[in-house]
Amino acid sequence: MFKTTVKGLLGHKLRMALTALSIVLGVGFVAGTYMLTDTMNKTFENLFAGITEGVDVYVRSESSFEAQLGGSRKPIPEALLEEVQAVDGVEIAAGSVSGYAQLVDKKGEAIAPSGPPTLGTNWGPEELSSAVELRSGQEPRGPREVVIDAATAEKHGFRVSDEVEVLFAGGNRRFEITGIVGFGEADNLAGATLAVFDTATAQKLLDRQGRFDEIEVAGDGSVTPSELRANISEVLPTGVEAESAGNVASEQASSLQDQLSFFNIALLVFAGVALFVGAFIIHNTFSITVAQRTKEFALLRALGASGGQVMGSVLIEAFIVGAIASAVGLGAGALTALGLQALLASFGIELPSTGLTLLPRTVVVALTLGTLVSVVSSLLPARKAARTSPMQALRESAQEPTGFSTKRAVGGGVITAVGASILLFGLFGSGSNKARVVGFGAFVTFLGVAALAPLITRPLAAVIGTPMARLLGISGRLARANAARNPKRTAASASALMIGLALVSLVGIFAASLKATTDQVLEESLKADFLVTGPSMAGPSPISPQIAADIRERGEFSAVAPTRLGQWRRSSNQLLYLLATDPATFGEVATLGETQGHLQDLEEGGVFVYDQTAEGLGLEVGDTLEMEFAASGTQDMPLAGTFSDKTLVGADYLISLTEWNEHFSERTDYQVLVKSAPGVSAADARGALEQVVESSPNVTIQDQRDIRERSSAQVDQLLGLVTALLGLAIIIALLGITNSLVLAVFERTRELGLLRAVGMSRRQARSMVRWEAVIVAVIGAVLGLVIGVFFGWALVTALKDEGLSRLALPTGQLVAYVVVAGVAGVIAAIPPARRAARLNILDAISGA
Amino acid sequence: MLSSAEQERTQATQPASRAEHATKVYGSGPTAVTALDDVSVSFAAGRFSAIMGPSGSGKSTLLHCLAGLDDLTSGKVFISETEVTSLGEKEKTRLRRDKVGFIFQSFNLVPTLTADENIRLPMDLARREPDEAWLTRVIDIVGLGDRLRHRPGELSGGQQQRVAAARALASKPDIVFADEPTGNLDSRRGSEILDFMRTAVKELDQTIVMVSHDPVAASYADGVVFLADEKVVDRMESPTVERVLDRIKRLEA
Repeated sequence: MFKTTVKGLLGHKLRMALTALSIVLGVGFVAGTYMLTDTMNKTFENLFAGITEGVDVYVRSESSFEAQLGGSRKPIPEALLEEVQAVDGVEIAAGSVSGYAQLVDKKGEAIAPSGPPTLGTNWGPEELSSAVELRSGQEPRGPREVVIDAATAEKHGFRVSDEVEVLFAGGNRRFEITGIVGFGEADNLAGATLAVFDTATAQKLLDRQGRFDEIEVAGDGSVTPSELRANISEVLPTGVEAESAGNVASEQASSLQDQLSFFNIALLVFAGVALFVGAFIIHNTFSITVAQRTKEFALLRALGASGGQVMGSVLIEAFIVGAIASAVGLGAGALTALGLQALLASFGIELPSTGLTLLPRTVVVALTLGTLVSVVSSLLPARKAARTSPMQALRESAQEPTGFSTKRAVGGGVITAVGASILLFGLFGSGSNKARVVGFGAFVTFLGVAALAPLITRPLAAVIGTPMARLLGISGRLARANAARNPKRTAASASALMIGLALVSLVGIFAASLKATTDQVLEESLKADFLVTGPSMAGPSPISPQIAADIRERGEFSAVAPTRLGQWRRSSNQLLYLLATDPATFGEVATLGETQGHLQDLEEGGVFVYDQTAEGLGLEVGDTLEMEFAASGTQDMPLAGTFSDKTLVGADYLISLTEWNEHFSERTDYQVLVKSAPGVSAADARGALEQVVESSPNVTIQDQRDIRERSSAQVDQLLGLVTALLGLAIIIALLGITNSLVLAVFERTRELGLLRAVGMSRRQARSMVRWEAVIVAVIGAVLGLVIGVFFGWALVTALKDEGLSRLALPTGQLVAYVVVAGVAGVIAAIPPARRAARLNILDAISGA
Repeated sequence: MLSSAEQERTQATQPASRAEHATKVYGSGPTAVTALDDVSVSFAAGRFSAIMGPSGSGKSTLLHCLAGLDDLTSGKVFISETEVTSLGEKEKTRLRRDKVGFIFQSFNLVPTLTADENIRLPMDLARREPDEAWLTRVIDIVGLGDRLRHRPGELSGGQQQRVAAARALASKPDIVFADEPTGNLDSRRGSEILDFMRTAVKELDQTIVMVSHDPVAASYADGVVFLADEKVVDRMESPTVERVLDRIKRLEA
């Protein structure tokens, strides 16, 4: 049996190549994702291991968690350094500080990597920073010297002895570049820009006068690192800890990796979609080939092969195809990783890179997954092959099943309903793991609709094909008839495309709703005339608090409300966002909709909570909420009031800036909302603001229209990225259409021969195949659109509480998707149409 | 027996199809196989002609080449005044569509089209309006009136061949080529088709060239051309089953 299988495989190279390609692409995506994220993880591990090289112990203030926003640990007093230096076994100890310092390029634009931070730090003793190596120049000395990282220097054309402007939370200053540093092989630290000053300058400019963020300690070798750590711990006051360098390195690496794990998961979701679509293609290909090989199987059965053996032969075929394709896919993964990196970079998400990392896990997952998908997808066709009776060897070609199947209608209907219910439960229910439930619900819904699809393929093909039949005459009519002749096949090809289209439409609807909501928010909730904000698209970028102070000084404005965004922890596992602002002015720049209490009450301290969240927590005004902060630890915060409009707060919790300063170490603003005084023209107000920010190139001023445009640009960017990633699933689906049409052309050889003999031109033959592909693609697109609209409706409705108040259908865009699908169908039809047109008439009509 | 006057008339008219020194060789070198060896033959318009010969005699190849489905190695083939052998692919397609009708042994119909649509297929491919009066006559003679809306799968083998015959005649072709049209039918259904073909030639003034190995089928024709060993070896006018059988026996001897 095995030999027969292998020979069969070799005999159908094209068919197998097309099938395998869908697995190659899916597995390539999975492997590529793993390679990319493993590479990034390894880069960070190496980086932090390198940075901590030479250091044995870190001394720093205690913190129970690492917050990404609002700063984490409190600085420690400078005086501790002397005490640490005096500890037994300490060879050398030095204080380090770090904070916001943004470089300005030669054109006067602030250098802002999207994502990674802009770091300022101090130059430490060589013994404690062996990873830092001066590529040129020398260390910084005095208040006017800076050393920058090699990547920034390279990218923006800075050399030693050039002048550079640096922005700090407290203002900006010009420096002379005295040196350029690298970190072993790497030119920068995980994409961050770096400005290094001497310790005194760094302390002053980074708001750390008399304080350090950490003290780095190297032992003299007389005691073990853990003894050293214990010795140091003894001299430390409460709230300050000594931590081993190894722990710090892995802590920092894993903190970065946590942030990046989002990428990993998101990319794996897209890879999963691609594989799921691939599974449809494999299933369809095997179904068709099993049908075409009925006589071959029947002959084998007549010669004494058991049903199990026939089934086995199909499964072995699937296994071989899957295994080979997975192996190729693994190789393709390397290319995919580079491609993904380029794709992310083109969307402004730059990741550091060294050589690609291939972990054994990647190999195992890729090979197993690809092979498994292939074998599982071929199970049903294999079972069908096993049921071939020996008698079928003698019969004419099998009649294709037609008509309405109640079993299918009921089964498909139930699966669809179950899938939709799971999805809705995931969205509206209160379970944990919501995303997984929703994803599973979507998966089941797709299967259900795919099962139902054959029932509606005929009417759909009739409707879609009618204009073609009108316009193109017989080719169009034959295309329509061919698309309808085997509903199962057409449905399977279309279903693969349906998945991609449904997800693309979902994203389109989500994006459109987001934009519509933003417009509404601006109209209803934003009372400010201007928003002063940093340039970063990926996250909040710090603005010096001096800017808000300067704006207040001007006479053109009636209200100025700076905001800061931070993270805190509830019940020891959930990191939540909060916004801090000036309670005196915030009400004049934004609608908060207080349900209980007055915003001004926040001046007395405490926290405002979004009313539905407060209700969910069972909190009343006067109750206390336990909040854990990275800098100040666990605090009992009294509930000062509740609010109903969180569109501009962007978080469920609101505190005053005074309170912020108690619990967060970060001192820069996130945004500043500004309202013009009555009688001041928009131009005058803008002019005044521009004067204030003149020397702060990292800051931009937006009026309401700018905000709308910028937010819409951000949404479009996200939409573009997601659509591009879903593009792979759509390409795989198109391969599926190509594959099934190639098989159909092969199957209809005699019919095509007849048509050509009685006068069908090559052009007409091509046109017939092409329009069939278009019909299949449009069926898939229409089904996908219906599901996508349902998903979109469900998602947007579920996110109403999160501030997504408007459901918008981008009708033009959705129609364009269908048109694009149709055009893609034309492209998918090129190989089968060519085959159909090149057919040798004589061979076709005289072939058995 | 045709009268000599009738014979003269037929010979005087333009042949609907003819081959001049038609030679067809498959392959090349030592493995080359000759299928037609310098065959010159013509088929008069308005007649029902049969080509007979043992299997391997090249009769199907001759038909395919006459119809422009296959290319000759050397020699020429004409349909009416058109030299088929010099035509390009597009022109050949147009010729088949407009001037030639086909009836094959099996698989004559497009399964997704109804009987009526199959009959109109050549005109539809040409995007040409059919001559409805003519079509009605053809369908009437084939006797399919009540089955026109059926698809091939719902028709018997005999009915399918009648649809195929109607399709072949629907565009008023210059000539119809039939390749073993009764090969898959029992004798009763076979004779129905043959009757129809003879009626079409007599009453609708059509021209049919049929390849067959069945002496009964050949006996319906006005004349028979015998092929053996890739060559034309004989002709016979007004054949009967006995005479054809006798001739074949001698050929095979």
